Amino acid sequence: MSKVLELFLGVLTAMGGFVEIGELTFTTNGGVHFGYSLLWVMLFGTLGIIVFGEMAGRVAAVARQPVFNLIRERAGFNAGLVTLLAANAVTLLTCAAEIGGVALVLQLLVELPYRALVVVGLVALVVVMWLLPFRWIERVFGLGGLMLAVVLPVAWRADIDWSALARGLVPAAPTEGDGSGLLYAYYVVALLSSVLLPYEVYFYAGGAIEDRWTAKDIMLNRVVVIVGFALGGLLGVALMSIGATWFAPRHMDAQLPGTAALAAAATFGKAGLLLMIGGMLFAFAGAAIETALSGAYNVAHFFGWPWGKFRAPAEAPRFTLAWLVITVAAALIVLTGVDPIAVVEYSIVFSVVILPLTYFPLVLVAADRRVMGEHASGRLANVLGVAYLVVVTVAALAAVPLLIATHGGRA
Amino acid sequence: MSRTTVDAVGDILDHELVDAEGLPCGMVDDLVLDGRPGGPMAIIALLVGPGAWLPRTMWPLRVVAGLVVGRRRVRVPWTAVESVQEHIVLAGRAADYGLGHTDRRVGRWLARIPGAKRAPE
Repeated sequence: MSKVLELFLGVLTAMGGFVEIGELTFTTNGGVHFGYSLLWVMLFGTLGIIVFGEMAGRVAAVARQPVFNLIRERAGFNAGLVTLLAANAVTLLTCAAEIGGVALVLQLLVELPYRALVVVGLVALVVVMWLLPFRWIERVFGLGGLMLAVVLPVAWRADIDWSALARGLVPAAPTEGDGSGLLYAYYVVALLSSVLLPYEVYFYAGGAIEDRWTAKDIMLNRVVVIVGFALGGLLGVALMSIGATWFAPRHMDAQLPGTAALAAAATFGKAGLLLMIGGMLFAFAGAAIETALSGAYNVAHFFGWPWGKFRAPAEAPRFTLAWLVITVAAALIVLTGVDPIAVVEYSIVFSVVILPLTYFPLVLVAADRRVMGEHASGRLANVLGVAYLVVVTVAALAAVPLLIATHGGRA
Repeated sequence: MSRTTVDAVGDILDHELVDAEGLPCGMVDDLVLDGRPGGPMAIIALLVGPGAWLPRTMWPLRVVAGLVVGRRRVRVPWTAVESVQEHIVLAGRAADYGLGHTDRRVGRWLARIPGAKRAPE
Protein backbone atom coordinates (compact mmCIF):
# COMPACT_ATOMS: atom_id res chain seq x y z
CA MET A 1 0.00 0.00 0.00
CA SER A 2 1.27 3.47 -0.84
CA LYS A 3 2.65 5.51 2.04
CA VAL A 4 0.15 8.31 1.36
CA LEU A 5 -2.82 5.97 1.70
CA GLU A 6 -1.32 4.42 4.83
CA LEU A 7 -0.85 7.88 6.29
CA PHE A 8 -4.39 8.95 5.36
CA LEU A 9 -5.92 5.81 6.88
CA GLY A 10 -3.73 6.15 9.97
CA VAL A 11 -4.85 9.72 10.57
CA LEU A 12 -8.54 8.91 10.06
CA THR A 13 -8.24 5.85 12.30
CA ALA A 14 -6.62 7.86 15.10
CA MET A 15 -9.32 10.52 14.74
CA GLY A 16 -12.19 8.04 14.68
CA GLY A 17 -10.80 6.05 17.61
CA PHE A 18 -10.28 9.12 19.78
CA VAL A 19 -13.76 9.44 21.26
CA GLU A 20 -15.21 6.79 23.57
CA ILE A 21 -18.10 6.74 26.03
CA GLY A 22 -16.21 8.48 28.86
CA GLU A 23 -14.99 11.32 26.73
CA LEU A 24 -18.41 11.71 25.11
CA THR A 25 -20.02 12.02 28.52
CA PHE A 26 -17.43 14.24 30.20
CA THR A 27 -16.89 16.66 27.32
CA THR A 28 -20.59 17.13 26.61
CA ASN A 29 -21.49 17.50 30.29
CA GLY A 30 -18.44 19.73 30.83
CA GLY A 31 -20.01 22.04 28.23
CA VAL A 32 -23.42 21.78 29.93
CA HIS A 33 -22.04 22.75 33.36
CA PHE A 34 -19.26 25.17 32.48
CA GLY A 35 -19.87 26.43 28.94
CA TYR A 36 -16.59 26.83 27.11
CA SER A 37 -14.50 27.45 30.24
CA LEU A 38 -13.08 23.86 30.16
CA LEU A 39 -11.96 24.17 26.56
CA TRP A 40 -8.34 24.75 27.59
CA VAL A 41 -8.34 21.37 29.38
CA MET A 42 -9.43 19.68 26.16
CA LEU A 43 -6.62 21.34 24.22
CA PHE A 44 -4.05 20.77 26.96
CA GLY A 45 -5.04 17.09 27.24
CA THR A 46 -4.93 16.61 23.48
CA LEU A 47 -1.40 18.04 23.33
CA GLY A 48 -0.48 15.66 26.20
CA ILE A 49 -1.78 12.55 24.42
CA ILE A 50 0.09 13.69 21.31
CA VAL A 51 3.34 14.01 23.33
CA PHE A 52 3.00 10.61 25.04
CA GLY A 53 1.54 8.86 21.97
CA GLU A 54 4.44 10.05 19.83
CA MET A 55 6.95 8.79 22.41
CA ALA A 56 5.21 5.40 22.76
CA GLY A 57 5.04 4.93 18.97
CA ARG A 58 8.67 6.01 18.52
CA VAL A 59 9.97 3.67 21.26
CA ALA A 60 7.88 0.80 19.85
CA ALA A 61 9.18 1.45 16.32
CA VAL A 62 12.87 1.88 17.22
CA ALA A 63 13.41 -0.41 20.22
CA ARG A 64 10.36 -2.67 19.65
CA GLN A 65 9.59 -2.12 23.31
CA PRO A 66 5.92 -1.88 24.34
CA VAL A 67 4.89 0.13 27.41
CA PHE A 68 4.77 -2.58 30.10
CA ASN A 69 8.13 -3.98 29.02
CA LEU A 70 9.52 -0.52 29.76
CA ILE A 71 7.63 -0.08 33.02
CA ARG A 72 9.03 -3.33 34.40
CA GLU A 73 12.56 -2.63 33.15
CA ARG A 74 12.69 0.91 34.48
CA ALA A 75 10.44 0.90 37.55
CA GLY A 76 11.36 -2.60 38.76
CA PHE A 77 9.22 -5.63 39.47
CA ASN A 78 7.12 -4.48 42.44
CA ALA A 79 6.31 -0.95 41.23
CA GLY A 80 5.64 -2.46 37.80
CA LEU A 81 3.32 -5.09 39.24
CA VAL A 82 1.33 -2.48 41.18
CA THR A 83 1.03 -0.41 37.98
CA LEU A 84 -0.05 -3.51 36.04
CA LEU A 85 -2.76 -4.42 38.57
CA ALA A 86 -4.05 -0.83 38.71
CA ALA A 87 -3.88 -0.35 34.94
CA ASN A 88 -5.73 -3.57 34.23
CA ALA A 89 -8.38 -2.87 36.88
CA VAL A 90 -9.05 0.48 35.18
CA THR A 91 -8.88 -1.10 31.71
CA LEU A 92 -11.43 -3.74 32.79
CA LEU A 93 -13.78 -1.06 34.13
CA THR A 94 -13.41 0.97 30.93
CA CYS A 95 -14.08 -2.14 28.83
CA ALA A 96 -17.21 -2.82 30.93
CA ALA A 97 -18.42 0.75 30.39
CA GLU A 98 -17.87 0.50 26.62
CA ILE A 99 -19.75 -2.83 26.39
CA GLY A 100 -22.58 -1.25 28.39
CA GLY A 101 -22.46 1.70 25.97
CA VAL A 102 -22.69 -0.66 22.99
CA ALA A 103 -25.79 -2.27 24.53
CA LEU A 104 -27.37 1.15 25.21
CA VAL A 105 -26.79 2.22 21.60
CA LEU A 106 -28.15 -1.11 20.27
CA GLN A 107 -31.25 -0.50 22.38
CA LEU A 108 -31.94 2.56 20.22
CA LEU A 109 -32.04 0.29 17.16
CA VAL A 110 -33.72 -2.93 18.34
CA GLU A 111 -36.36 -3.68 20.92
CA LEU A 112 -34.58 -6.19 23.11
CA PRO A 113 -33.86 -6.13 26.86
CA TYR A 114 -30.61 -4.38 27.87
CA ARG A 115 -29.00 -7.53 29.30
CA ALA A 116 -29.75 -9.52 26.13
CA LEU A 117 -28.03 -6.79 24.13
CA VAL A 118 -24.99 -6.94 26.42
CA VAL A 119 -24.71 -10.64 25.56
CA VAL A 120 -25.20 -9.88 21.83
CA GLY A 121 -22.48 -7.22 22.06
CA LEU A 122 -20.13 -9.59 23.90
CA VAL A 123 -20.53 -12.37 21.33
CA ALA A 124 -20.06 -9.93 18.42
CA LEU A 125 -16.91 -8.44 19.98
CA VAL A 126 -15.34 -11.84 20.70
CA VAL A 127 -16.07 -13.08 17.15
CA VAL A 128 -14.59 -9.89 15.65
CA MET A 129 -11.46 -10.10 17.84
CA TRP A 130 -11.01 -13.79 17.05
CA LEU A 131 -11.42 -13.46 13.28
CA LEU A 132 -10.14 -10.05 12.22
CA PRO A 133 -6.45 -9.16 11.95
CA PHE A 134 -5.23 -6.18 13.95
CA ARG A 135 -5.07 -3.83 10.97
CA TRP A 136 -8.71 -4.47 10.07
CA ILE A 137 -9.91 -4.09 13.64
CA GLU A 138 -8.11 -0.77 13.78
CA ARG A 139 -9.55 0.43 10.47
CA VAL A 140 -13.12 -0.88 10.66
CA PHE A 141 -13.75 0.66 14.07
CA GLY A 142 -11.61 3.77 13.60
CA LEU A 143 -13.23 4.61 10.28
CA GLY A 144 -16.73 3.63 11.52
CA GLY A 145 -16.21 5.95 14.49
CA LEU A 146 -15.66 8.76 11.99
CA MET A 147 -19.46 8.94 11.62
CA LEU A 148 -19.19 10.88 14.90
CA ALA A 149 -17.77 13.74 12.79
CA VAL A 150 -21.45 14.69 12.41
CA VAL A 151 -20.94 16.58 15.69
CA LEU A 152 -18.82 19.14 13.80
CA PRO A 153 -21.68 20.52 11.64
CA VAL A 154 -24.10 20.07 14.59
CA ALA A 155 -21.88 22.29 16.75
CA TRP A 156 -21.52 24.76 13.90
CA ARG A 157 -25.29 25.02 13.46
CA ALA A 158 -25.86 25.44 17.23
CA ASP A 159 -24.76 29.09 17.23
CA ILE A 160 -21.25 28.93 18.65
CA ASP A 161 -20.48 31.83 20.98
CA TRP A 162 -17.08 32.63 19.47
CA SER A 163 -16.01 35.14 22.12
CA ALA A 164 -16.83 32.69 24.96
CA LEU A 165 -15.02 29.98 22.98
CA ALA A 166 -11.93 32.21 22.69
CA ARG A 167 -12.02 32.96 26.42
CA GLY A 168 -12.25 29.22 27.12
CA LEU A 169 -8.84 28.70 25.54
CA VAL A 170 -7.24 30.43 28.54
CA PRO A 171 -7.34 28.70 31.96
CA ALA A 172 -9.63 30.67 34.29
CA ALA A 173 -11.95 30.18 37.24
CA PRO A 174 -15.48 29.19 36.17
CA THR A 175 -17.74 32.11 35.33
CA GLU A 176 -20.58 30.19 33.70
CA GLY A 177 -22.80 27.27 34.59
CA ASP A 178 -23.97 26.02 37.93
CA GLY A 179 -20.80 24.49 39.28
CA SER A 180 -18.80 25.18 42.41
CA GLY A 181 -15.01 25.55 42.36
CA LEU A 182 -14.62 21.97 43.54
CA LEU A 183 -16.91 20.64 40.82
CA TYR A 184 -14.95 22.65 38.26
CA ALA A 185 -11.68 21.15 39.58
CA TYR A 186 -13.26 17.68 39.40
CA TYR A 187 -14.22 18.25 35.77
CA VAL A 188 -10.71 19.55 34.97
CA VAL A 189 -9.13 16.37 36.35
CA ALA A 190 -11.74 14.02 34.85
CA LEU A 191 -11.66 15.65 31.43
CA LEU A 192 -7.86 15.60 31.40
CA SER A 193 -7.94 11.93 32.33
CA SER A 194 -10.58 11.09 29.71
CA VAL A 195 -8.34 12.54 27.00
CA LEU A 196 -5.12 11.00 28.39
CA LEU A 197 -6.63 7.54 29.07
CA PRO A 198 -3.57 5.28 29.41
CA TYR A 199 -5.06 2.38 27.48
CA GLU A 200 -4.86 4.51 24.34
CA VAL A 201 -1.07 4.62 24.69
CA TYR A 202 -0.75 0.90 25.57
CA PHE A 203 -2.85 0.08 22.51
CA TYR A 204 -1.03 2.50 20.23
CA ALA A 205 2.42 1.13 21.18
CA GLY A 206 1.25 -2.48 20.89
CA GLY A 207 -0.32 -1.61 17.54
CA ALA A 208 2.91 -0.08 16.24
CA ILE A 209 4.66 -3.42 16.87
CA GLU A 210 1.67 -5.39 15.45
CA ASP A 211 1.96 -3.25 12.29
CA ARG A 212 5.73 -4.01 12.21
CA TRP A 213 6.79 -0.38 12.35
CA THR A 214 10.53 0.27 12.26
CA ALA A 215 12.70 3.37 12.67
CA LYS A 216 11.71 4.23 9.07
CA ASP A 217 8.14 4.78 10.26
CA ILE A 218 8.98 7.51 12.76
CA MET A 219 7.63 10.25 10.51
CA LEU A 220 4.45 8.22 9.88
CA ASN A 221 4.08 7.88 13.67
CA ARG A 222 4.55 11.60 14.16
CA VAL A 223 2.02 12.66 11.53
CA VAL A 224 -0.58 10.07 12.60
CA VAL A 225 -0.31 11.12 16.23
CA ILE A 226 -0.26 14.87 15.66
CA VAL A 227 -2.90 15.16 12.93
CA GLY A 228 -5.10 12.22 13.98
CA PHE A 229 -5.24 13.09 17.68
CA ALA A 230 -5.62 16.82 16.95
CA LEU A 231 -8.63 16.10 14.70
CA GLY A 232 -9.96 13.75 17.40
CA GLY A 233 -9.55 16.62 19.88
CA LEU A 234 -11.60 18.77 17.50
CA LEU A 235 -14.49 16.29 17.87
CA GLY A 236 -14.15 16.77 21.64
CA VAL A 237 -14.31 20.55 21.23
CA ALA A 238 -17.46 20.14 19.11
CA LEU A 239 -19.05 17.93 21.77
CA MET A 240 -18.26 20.49 24.45
CA SER A 241 -19.70 23.23 22.27
CA ILE A 242 -22.90 21.21 21.74
CA GLY A 243 -23.10 20.77 25.52
CA ALA A 244 -22.79 24.53 26.01
CA THR A 245 -25.07 25.76 23.24
CA TRP A 246 -27.64 22.97 22.73
CA PHE A 247 -27.98 20.96 25.96
CA ALA A 248 -27.39 23.69 28.58
CA PRO A 249 -30.23 26.02 27.42
CA ARG A 250 -32.57 23.00 27.52
CA HIS A 251 -31.37 22.08 31.05
CA MET A 252 -30.36 18.59 29.86
CA ASP A 253 -27.43 16.35 30.81
CA ALA A 254 -26.05 13.96 28.19
CA GLN A 255 -26.00 11.03 30.63
CA LEU A 256 -27.12 8.44 28.10
CA PRO A 257 -25.95 7.84 24.52
CA GLY A 258 -29.56 8.32 23.36
CA THR A 259 -29.62 11.80 24.90
CA ALA A 260 -26.24 12.64 23.36
CA ALA A 261 -27.72 11.81 19.93
CA LEU A 262 -30.63 14.24 20.37
CA ALA A 263 -28.72 17.32 19.18
CA ALA A 264 -27.75 15.57 15.92
CA ALA A 265 -31.34 14.37 15.44
CA ALA A 266 -32.76 17.84 16.07
CA THR A 267 -30.30 19.44 13.65
CA PHE A 268 -30.18 16.97 10.75
CA GLY A 269 -33.22 14.77 11.33
CA LYS A 270 -33.07 11.01 10.72
CA ALA A 271 -29.72 11.19 8.88
CA GLY A 272 -28.09 13.03 11.80
CA LEU A 273 -29.53 10.57 14.30
CA LEU A 274 -28.35 7.53 12.33
CA LEU A 275 -24.86 8.96 11.85
CA MET A 276 -24.57 9.70 15.56
CA ILE A 277 -25.87 6.25 16.54
CA GLY A 278 -23.58 4.53 14.00
CA GLY A 279 -20.60 6.61 15.14
CA MET A 280 -21.22 5.82 18.82
CA LEU A 281 -21.70 2.11 18.07
CA PHE A 282 -18.36 1.85 16.25
CA ALA A 283 -16.55 4.16 18.69
CA PHE A 284 -17.74 2.29 21.81
CA ALA A 285 -17.24 -1.17 20.27
CA GLY A 286 -13.78 -0.11 19.05
CA ALA A 287 -12.90 1.16 22.52
CA ALA A 288 -14.16 -2.11 24.08
CA ILE A 289 -11.85 -4.07 21.77
CA GLU A 290 -8.94 -1.69 22.38
CA THR A 291 -9.31 -1.95 26.16
CA ALA A 292 -9.58 -5.76 26.09
CA LEU A 293 -6.52 -6.06 23.84
CA SER A 294 -4.64 -3.43 25.88
CA GLY A 295 -5.23 -5.39 29.08
CA ALA A 296 -3.92 -8.54 27.36
CA TYR A 297 -0.92 -6.65 25.92
CA ASN A 298 -0.08 -5.32 29.40
CA VAL A 299 0.01 -8.74 31.06
CA ALA A 300 1.83 -10.39 28.15
CA HIS A 301 4.45 -7.63 28.01
CA PHE A 302 4.96 -7.67 31.78
CA PHE A 303 5.53 -11.45 31.93
CA GLY A 304 7.18 -11.90 28.52
CA TRP A 305 4.50 -14.13 26.94
CA PRO A 306 4.17 -14.56 23.15
CA TRP A 307 1.58 -11.98 22.13
CA GLY A 308 -0.06 -10.19 19.26
CA LYS A 309 -2.93 -10.50 16.83
CA PHE A 310 -0.36 -11.19 14.08
CA ARG A 311 0.09 -14.64 15.65
CA ALA A 312 -2.54 -17.39 15.48
CA PRO A 313 -4.51 -17.55 18.78
CA ALA A 314 -2.96 -20.94 19.58
CA GLU A 315 0.54 -19.47 19.08
CA ALA A 316 -0.09 -16.66 21.58
CA PRO A 317 -2.28 -18.73 23.93
CA ARG A 318 -2.02 -16.85 27.23
CA PHE A 319 -2.41 -13.51 25.42
CA THR A 320 -5.55 -14.84 23.68
CA LEU A 321 -6.88 -16.21 26.95
CA ALA A 322 -6.21 -12.83 28.62
CA TRP A 323 -8.32 -10.80 26.17
CA LEU A 324 -11.07 -13.42 26.27
CA VAL A 325 -11.15 -13.30 30.09
CA ILE A 326 -11.12 -9.48 30.17
CA THR A 327 -13.98 -9.20 27.65
CA VAL A 328 -16.15 -11.77 29.41
CA ALA A 329 -15.40 -10.30 32.87
CA ALA A 330 -16.25 -6.81 31.60
CA ALA A 331 -19.59 -8.07 30.23
CA LEU A 332 -20.32 -9.81 33.55
CA ILE A 333 -19.74 -6.51 35.39
CA VAL A 334 -22.31 -4.82 33.14
CA LEU A 335 -24.73 -7.75 33.49
CA THR A 336 -24.92 -7.09 37.25
CA GLY A 337 -27.00 -4.07 36.27
CA VAL A 338 -24.45 -1.42 37.25
CA ASP A 339 -24.86 1.85 35.34
CA PRO A 340 -22.17 1.97 32.60
CA ILE A 341 -21.92 5.76 32.86
CA ALA A 342 -21.18 5.48 36.60
CA VAL A 343 -18.57 2.80 35.79
CA VAL A 344 -16.90 5.03 33.22
CA GLU A 345 -16.78 7.95 35.66
CA TYR A 346 -14.95 5.86 38.25
CA SER A 347 -12.66 4.29 35.66
CA ILE A 348 -11.69 7.72 34.34
CA VAL A 349 -10.95 9.16 37.76
CA PHE A 350 -8.90 6.11 38.78
CA SER A 351 -7.11 6.19 35.41
CA VAL A 352 -5.51 9.49 36.30
CA VAL A 353 -3.92 7.88 39.36
CA ILE A 354 -1.89 5.50 37.18
CA LEU A 355 -0.92 8.09 34.57
CA PRO A 356 2.40 9.09 36.24
CA LEU A 357 3.40 5.43 36.73
CA THR A 358 2.68 4.74 33.07
CA TYR A 359 4.30 7.78 31.52
CA PHE A 360 7.42 8.15 33.71
CA PRO A 361 9.27 5.09 32.29
CA LEU A 362 8.15 6.08 28.78
CA VAL A 363 9.68 9.56 29.06
CA LEU A 364 12.91 8.03 30.47
CA VAL A 365 13.34 5.44 27.71
CA ALA A 366 12.34 7.78 24.87
CA ALA A 367 15.17 10.09 25.99
CA ASP A 368 17.73 7.28 26.50
CA ARG A 369 20.33 7.51 23.70
CA ARG A 370 21.68 4.04 24.51
CA VAL A 371 18.30 2.53 23.61
CA MET A 372 16.98 5.04 21.07
CA GLY A 373 20.24 6.17 19.43
CA GLU A 374 19.69 9.10 17.08
CA HIS A 375 15.92 8.80 17.60
CA ALA A 376 16.06 9.76 21.30
CA SER A 377 13.75 12.60 22.36
CA GLY A 378 14.95 16.09 21.50
CA ARG A 379 14.78 19.05 23.84
CA LEU A 380 11.15 19.91 22.99
CA ALA A 381 9.87 16.36 23.57
CA ASN A 382 11.83 16.13 26.84
CA VAL A 383 10.54 19.47 28.17
CA LEU A 384 6.94 18.65 27.20
CA GLY A 385 7.24 15.11 28.58
CA VAL A 386 8.52 16.28 31.97
CA ALA A 387 6.01 19.17 32.14
CA TYR A 388 3.10 16.79 31.49
CA LEU A 389 4.49 14.34 34.04
CA VAL A 390 4.34 17.08 36.68
CA VAL A 391 0.77 17.98 35.68
CA VAL A 392 -0.51 14.38 35.66
CA THR A 393 1.16 13.76 39.04
CA VAL A 394 -0.68 16.76 40.56
CA ALA A 395 -3.92 15.55 38.90
CA ALA A 396 -3.31 12.02 40.23
CA LEU A 397 -2.94 13.31 43.79
CA ALA A 398 -6.10 15.44 43.51
CA ALA A 399 -8.32 12.90 41.70
CA VAL A 400 -9.65 10.73 44.53
CA PRO A 401 -10.15 13.59 47.07
CA LEU A 402 -12.11 15.49 44.39
CA LEU A 403 -14.20 12.40 43.57
CA ILE A 404 -15.14 12.12 47.25
CA ALA A 405 -15.64 15.87 47.84
CA THR A 406 -17.97 16.25 44.84
CA HIS A 407 -19.83 12.95 45.40
CA GLY A 408 -18.64 11.69 42.03
CA GLY A 409 -19.19 14.99 40.20
CA ARG A 410 -22.70 15.52 41.53
CA ALA A 411 -21.91 18.23 44.12
CA MET B 1 23.66 -4.12 18.83
CA SER B 2 25.04 -6.37 21.54
CA ARG B 3 26.52 -4.53 24.47
CA THR B 4 30.27 -4.66 25.14
CA THR B 5 29.67 -4.46 28.89
CA VAL B 6 26.49 -5.43 30.70
CA ASP B 7 24.91 -4.11 33.86
CA ALA B 8 23.32 -7.13 35.60
CA VAL B 9 20.46 -5.09 37.04
CA GLY B 10 20.04 -2.41 34.35
CA ASP B 11 20.47 -4.61 31.27
CA ILE B 12 19.42 -8.11 32.31
CA LEU B 13 17.12 -8.35 35.34
CA ASP B 14 13.45 -7.76 34.41
CA HIS B 15 14.28 -7.81 30.69
CA GLU B 16 12.47 -9.95 28.15
CA LEU B 17 13.92 -13.24 26.95
CA VAL B 18 13.58 -14.04 23.27
CA ASP B 19 14.54 -17.39 21.78
CA ALA B 20 16.52 -18.04 18.60
CA GLU B 21 13.30 -17.89 16.55
CA GLY B 22 12.33 -14.49 17.98
CA LEU B 23 9.61 -15.90 20.23
CA PRO B 24 9.16 -14.17 23.62
CA CYS B 25 9.73 -16.80 26.31
CA GLY B 26 9.51 -15.02 29.64
CA MET B 27 11.30 -12.35 31.62
CA VAL B 28 14.52 -12.58 33.59
CA ASP B 29 12.80 -12.82 36.97
CA ASP B 30 15.96 -13.37 39.00
CA LEU B 31 19.68 -14.02 38.63
CA VAL B 32 22.02 -16.63 40.04
CA LEU B 33 25.39 -15.04 40.78
CA ASP B 34 28.66 -16.62 41.83
CA GLY B 35 31.34 -14.77 43.74
CA ARG B 36 32.38 -13.54 47.12
CA PRO B 37 32.92 -10.13 48.70
CA GLY B 38 36.11 -8.57 47.42
CA GLY B 39 36.36 -11.02 44.50
CA PRO B 40 34.90 -11.07 41.00
CA MET B 41 31.19 -11.80 40.60
CA ALA B 42 29.80 -13.77 37.65
CA ILE B 43 26.29 -14.51 36.39
CA ILE B 44 25.74 -18.26 36.40
CA ALA B 45 22.10 -18.52 35.34
CA LEU B 46 18.86 -16.67 34.68
CA LEU B 47 15.75 -17.69 36.62
CA VAL B 48 12.37 -17.51 34.89
CA GLY B 49 8.82 -18.17 36.10
CA PRO B 50 6.57 -17.60 39.11
CA GLY B 51 8.94 -19.55 41.40
CA ALA B 52 11.55 -16.86 40.66
CA TRP B 53 9.37 -13.73 40.86
CA LEU B 54 7.08 -14.70 43.74
CA PRO B 55 9.80 -14.24 46.40
CA ARG B 56 10.29 -10.67 45.08
CA THR B 57 6.66 -9.63 45.65
CA MET B 58 4.86 -8.33 48.72
CA TRP B 59 3.66 -11.13 51.02
CA PRO B 60 -0.15 -11.00 50.57
CA LEU B 61 0.28 -11.04 46.82
CA ARG B 62 2.93 -13.76 47.11
CA VAL B 63 0.48 -16.09 48.83
CA VAL B 64 -2.49 -15.39 46.53
CA ALA B 65 -0.48 -15.38 43.29
CA GLY B 66 1.34 -18.56 44.38
CA LEU B 67 -2.00 -20.38 44.63
CA VAL B 68 -3.09 -19.15 41.18
CA VAL B 69 0.06 -19.43 39.06
CA GLY B 70 2.04 -22.11 40.89
CA ARG B 71 5.75 -22.02 41.66
CA ARG B 72 7.36 -23.33 38.50
CA ARG B 73 10.86 -21.98 37.98
CA VAL B 74 13.18 -22.53 35.02
CA ARG B 75 16.95 -22.12 35.27
CA VAL B 76 18.56 -20.97 32.02
CA PRO B 77 22.38 -21.20 32.02
CA TRP B 78 24.16 -17.93 31.21
CA THR B 79 26.08 -19.81 28.53
CA ALA B 80 22.78 -20.09 26.61
CA VAL B 81 22.65 -16.31 26.13
CA GLU B 82 23.53 -15.37 22.57
CA SER B 83 23.40 -11.59 22.97
CA VAL B 84 22.19 -8.80 25.25
CA GLN B 85 20.23 -6.22 23.31
CA GLU B 86 16.96 -4.52 24.24
CA HIS B 87 15.96 -8.15 24.84
CA ILE B 88 18.06 -11.05 26.05
CA VAL B 89 18.44 -13.34 23.03
CA LEU B 90 18.93 -17.07 23.63
CA ALA B 91 20.99 -19.33 21.36
CA GLY B 92 18.38 -22.10 21.16
CA ARG B 93 14.62 -22.56 21.07
CA ALA B 94 12.47 -21.87 24.15
CA ALA B 95 11.55 -25.55 24.56
CA ASP B 96 15.26 -26.52 24.67
CA TYR B 97 15.50 -24.79 28.06
CA GLY B 98 12.07 -25.79 29.39
CA LEU B 99 10.65 -22.33 28.72
CA GLY B 100 7.14 -21.72 27.32
CA HIS B 101 5.75 -24.82 29.07
CA THR B 102 2.44 -23.15 30.08
CA ASP B 103 1.98 -21.61 26.63
CA ARG B 104 2.32 -25.00 24.96
CA ARG B 105 -0.20 -26.51 27.38
CA VAL B 106 -2.77 -23.68 26.98
CA GLY B 107 -2.06 -23.62 23.22
CA ARG B 108 -3.03 -27.29 22.85
CA TRP B 109 -6.32 -26.57 24.62
CA LEU B 110 -7.04 -23.46 22.54
CA ALA B 111 -6.17 -25.25 19.30
CA ARG B 112 -9.44 -27.21 19.57
CA ILE B 113 -11.39 -24.01 18.82
CA PRO B 114 -11.99 -23.42 15.08
CA GLY B 115 -9.64 -20.82 13.63
CA ALA B 116 -7.17 -20.97 16.54
CA LYS B 117 -4.31 -22.19 14.38
CA ARG B 118 -4.80 -19.60 11.65
CA ALA B 119 -2.93 -16.31 11.94
CA PRO B 120 -5.19 -13.48 10.70
CA GLU B 121 -3.90 -12.15 7.36
